[in-house]
Amino acid sequence: MQAELSDITVRFGALTAVDHVSLRFSAGEIHAVVGENGAGKSTVMNVLFGLVRPAAGSISLDGRAHVWRTPQDAIAHGLGMVHQHFMLQDSMTVLENIVLGAEPLRPFGFVDFGAARRRLAEIASAYGIGVDVARRVADLSVSERQIVEILKVLYREAELLILDEPTAVLTPQETGRLFGILRNFRQSGKAIVLITHKLDEVMQIADRVSVMRGGKLIASTTLGETSKTEIARGIIGGDLPAALKRADTAPGEVVLAVEGLEARGQGRAAGPVSLSVRRGEIVGIAGISGNGQSQLIEALVGMRAPLAGRVVVLGRDVTSADVARHRAAGLSYIPADRQRVGLALQARISENAAIGRETSPAFRRGPFLRRDAMVRFARQLIERYAIKAAGPNARSASLSGGNKQKLVVGRELSRDTPLVIAENPTWGVDIGAIDFIHRELIRMRDSGHAVLLISTELDEVIALSDRIFVLADGRIAGEFSAATADRLAIGALMTSRDQPRQAA
Amino acid sequence: MGFDMLIDPAFLQSVPRFVTPILLAALGGAICDRSGVFNIALEGFILVGAFCAVLGSYFLGSAWWGALAGMLGSIGMGLLFAEFHLRRRGDAIVVSIALNLFAAGLTAYLLRAIFGVSGAFHDAGIVGFAGIDIPGLAAVPVLGPALSGQSILFYFALVATFALHFGFARHRLGLRLRAAGENPAGLIAAGVDPQRVRLYGLILCGALCGLAGAQLSIANVSLFVENMSAGRGWIAVVAVLLTGGRAIPVLLIATLFGFVDSFSFRVQGVGLPQQFTDMMPYLATLIVLIALSAWRKSRTA
Amino acid sequence: MDTAFMRRLGPWVAVLAWIFGILLVLMLVVHAHFGEALSGFFNSAFGGRNLAYLMATLSRTTLIVGMALSSMFSFRAGLFNIGGEGQLVAGGMVAALVGVYLPGWGPLVLVCGILAGMAAGAAWALLAGVMQSYLGVPLLIGSLLLNYPAAYIASYLVGHPFRDVASGLPQTFQVQAGTWLPFIPGTRLDVGIVAIIVVAVGAVIYANNTVAGYRARMNGLAPEFARASGLPVRPLLFQTLAISGAVAGLVGGLAVFGVSHRFTDGMLVEPLYAWTGIIAVLLVGMVPWAVPISGFFFAAVETGAAGMERTANVPQQVALIMQAVIILFVAGRISGASLVREAEDGDGL
Repeated sequence: MQAELSDITVRFGALTAVDHVSLRFSAGEIHAVVGENGAGKSTVMNVLFGLVRPAAGSISLDGRAHVWRTPQDAIAHGLGMVHQHFMLQDSMTVLENIVLGAEPLRPFGFVDFGAARRRLAEIASAYGIGVDVARRVADLSVSERQIVEILKVLYREAELLILDEPTAVLTPQETGRLFGILRNFRQSGKAIVLITHKLDEVMQIADRVSVMRGGKLIASTTLGETSKTEIARGIIGGDLPAALKRADTAPGEVVLAVEGLEARGQGRAAGPVSLSVRRGEIVGIAGISGNGQSQLIEALVGMRAPLAGRVVVLGRDVTSADVARHRAAGLSYIPADRQRVGLALQARISENAAIGRETSPAFRRGPFLRRDAMVRFARQLIERYAIKAAGPNARSASLSGGNKQKLVVGRELSRDTPLVIAENPTWGVDIGAIDFIHRELIRMRDSGHAVLLISTELDEVIALSDRIFVLADGRIAGEFSAATADRLAIGALMTSRDQPRQAA
Repeated sequence: MGFDMLIDPAFLQSVPRFVTPILLAALGGAICDRSGVFNIALEGFILVGAFCAVLGSYFLGSAWWGALAGMLGSIGMGLLFAEFHLRRRGDAIVVSIALNLFAAGLTAYLLRAIFGVSGAFHDAGIVGFAGIDIPGLAAVPVLGPALSGQSILFYFALVATFALHFGFARHRLGLRLRAAGENPAGLIAAGVDPQRVRLYGLILCGALCGLAGAQLSIANVSLFVENMSAGRGWIAVVAVLLTGGRAIPVLLIATLFGFVDSFSFRVQGVGLPQQFTDMMPYLATLIVLIALSAWRKSRTA
Repeated sequence: MDTAFMRRLGPWVAVLAWIFGILLVLMLVVHAHFGEALSGFFNSAFGGRNLAYLMATLSRTTLIVGMALSSMFSFRAGLFNIGGEGQLVAGGMVAALVGVYLPGWGPLVLVCGILAGMAAGAAWALLAGVMQSYLGVPLLIGSLLLNYPAAYIASYLVGHPFRDVASGLPQTFQVQAGTWLPFIPGTRLDVGIVAIIVVAVGAVIYANNTVAGYRARMNGLAPEFARASGLPVRPLLFQTLAISGAVAGLVGGLAVFGVSHRFTDGMLVEPLYAWTGIIAVLLVGMVPWAVPISGFFFAAVETGAAGMERTANVPQQVALIMQAVIILFVAGRISGASLVREAEDGDGL
């Protein structure tokens, strides 16, 4: 199958997310669409899949034009998409998830699970992939869930597969396995579209590379016609930002001491974990998402009572204390979810900025709030952290992703606390803001603060940290110093629970 | 008044009459809940169902027409819910509160407009459901009186429970309803519109609540009283909340609540003031709610 | 005319058309004379000899707006407290008992009665809060279920132990003469309305200018954000519920001391003050200054409907139907804190 997007334009309100982009995808080819966060690559592929209606432009398959009203139309014509955030029903079995929406029927609308099972067995043996279809998705590892998503697409006999950031949640080893599967697909004549921002992988697997930036298509060539640096330049539109440099200082006193911490949240338990963070250093925790990070962080910050262990901040035991007391002991927290946990989107920027300070004398007069002080403070943050906003009284929802994140980072860092806990601080943020936030974190470290960085982005952890712990299966699987940090060695330790099973 | 009252055949025979409306409404609520529709307007659905059942029975001359009319009336409420919540994206709680008030007002209004009375309407022309004797079940020790001689709606409710149980597991609509409730984005990506699925769920809910109302107005008695649903809808909401919308637990909880409801009716006039016996179902619901919520909370802490 | 303006106006025009259409159908069903009904409505809502009916509407407005404010405090803090009716009854009952049985100087007893009513309302609201916070019972369901025991207990109390048997009705004795709220000079409207205006102003100041109001609002808009920022979630819950309950109790006290001068079975429940208050708040999207207007509107609908029944034989339940219909149409356009967020969990607020 050959698919062609011609002159696609997508607008979200005033923002032009995709600007007159044309792309062609051919059978037996792995076509990588690369760009940084917000470049429009996911959006343009959502158009191909029918999740988004373009304002202009057309879609054609094998020369015939089509208009999709829903993904159902695209699926019916042989397109399939494996999404970045898995679209699975946790409480249902693999089998139920795969047939959902394409259920084989018996009389009166009952589902013929037997026929589905037989069909899946055929697919599994044809492509060498499989998973136990009776298991509940909630019990599967992340890479197993991805296999389910792929099986969903194959079950519907897709000839063109779109994979959106498939390796974001895989260890380097699992990525290798996935690429093997993709090569299988390529050999059997399917067209594969790979949306990614990881250049190394593009160089490894792609036949053709299209670079997008700011909604526009910058270049589309075969792999042989370009180079890694050229692609990188196309993505950023200039040179890569200068490499991050940490000041040569020795760490000071211990600010955070964690002993035997165990926590249970939704899903897997985490722990026991022990570590310490000292003044003037960045300690990074690397790991694939879903290995206990959020449980640990909730326990560290005070949002969840730990099952066991101790958390001591500057000598104060805050193990079973609430968030307010954790913060009072000297902690600031940049959460991973800026939309729900980092900000109150419907509130003004000034109101978001002042949270936590409303009881301090600068912001209150008796029971009353000093709004003018709040606005002034917000203005300071906007300037200091280069936040592009309409003004301190604008709603936080009006900010772009990167600026929202800068608001959260700015608010937390300006507390100037001895300890900063940063959780995926640059997720989904454009390169300029990523660089800015990284430099701010290093600045905190250089001026004697202690920073605990938990991130699923391995490159970020390696670039920023003085010491690196690897979290796998809720426990610390290994420790590295900045000098000994090696991507492959770390990756080897980052296994998720339960290796995916190969079909027999 | 001792424990022998609890196994008194007359008492046991009355229990299913109170279980049925709660069970049917709770099953309807369960469908909405599993599909991601926070429908707390069951009280209004039941009330409209009860009124329409009387309308159908009185004007068309049979209980079957009454049951059908009751179903259609409540389905109408379901469609209203769908229109204002699914299509116009009104908040489900707001829409529920509004529909509950709407039902109360509309039924009282039409009571005046159509029958010319206020407060209650009873007439020989209202045909009710007679009890159905099932000799085999009547012979069951102890529970016999409870199982035989009940209205057809009771037996239907039991069948509906198991139909729902299997339907959620094995029927295409059941699968899609569950998906709409758990991860609607995933359902969209699979090419199915969650809103349409939820609409079907609301229609089913309406049908079941309509029959719940029919049980109240043309099976338990043959009349309509203003605000006849009398809190059963809220008790059904609690039943759905406590069971997560699973059919068999719904049956168990509804039986418990129906039992208490029936018990409170029975002890009227035994010396306690009317208000205390009227209060019993709500207190019992509160107690069960507190007990189960506290238990659940201690488990996840 | 500017087309963008027309486009935005369109939906509202459609809504009005629907509302009048439904009203028309309802009146046709009872063969009501349209003109008579309309004149009866307006006269009964706003007119009357010496504006007596307008006074009645304003008196009703007081109670509805009071309940609306009570609900608003909770809703803006993200709390689904729909137990206003129970809190109202608890407050009114206690206020009446104090007014009847506490000896002393009239105005002092009045103040005690009102304060006792507010405390009772606050306590009833806090009960629901305790159930959520310590026992995991979702506030929405817990507060709602508590409405029933409150009404039944009050009904029992005025029906048996505290009943004024001689009067033949299930009600208490009249509260002492010195406690009756005076009328605003020149009218037959009691000064309770002043108290509610004070509460309304207080609510605006609270929401926009106090630390407590700011925290409650942040918590209402984004509960997880509030938690992660260290806001004291549990104290906020209790503080907000106490305020809501106290306002509801105040309304109960005003009804007793200002309007009926005793507690009669069902006097606070049957007119649906609490539910009308809730939908009055929902109509204006919890914008504080608009609540009195909304409350007045709904009060007028109700008193007007009574007039429609007198003059054109339209059953007065038409008021309830139309109020519900209005809210249904407005539901889709309600902005501000969404209500459905954590309704089912009971975790957090």
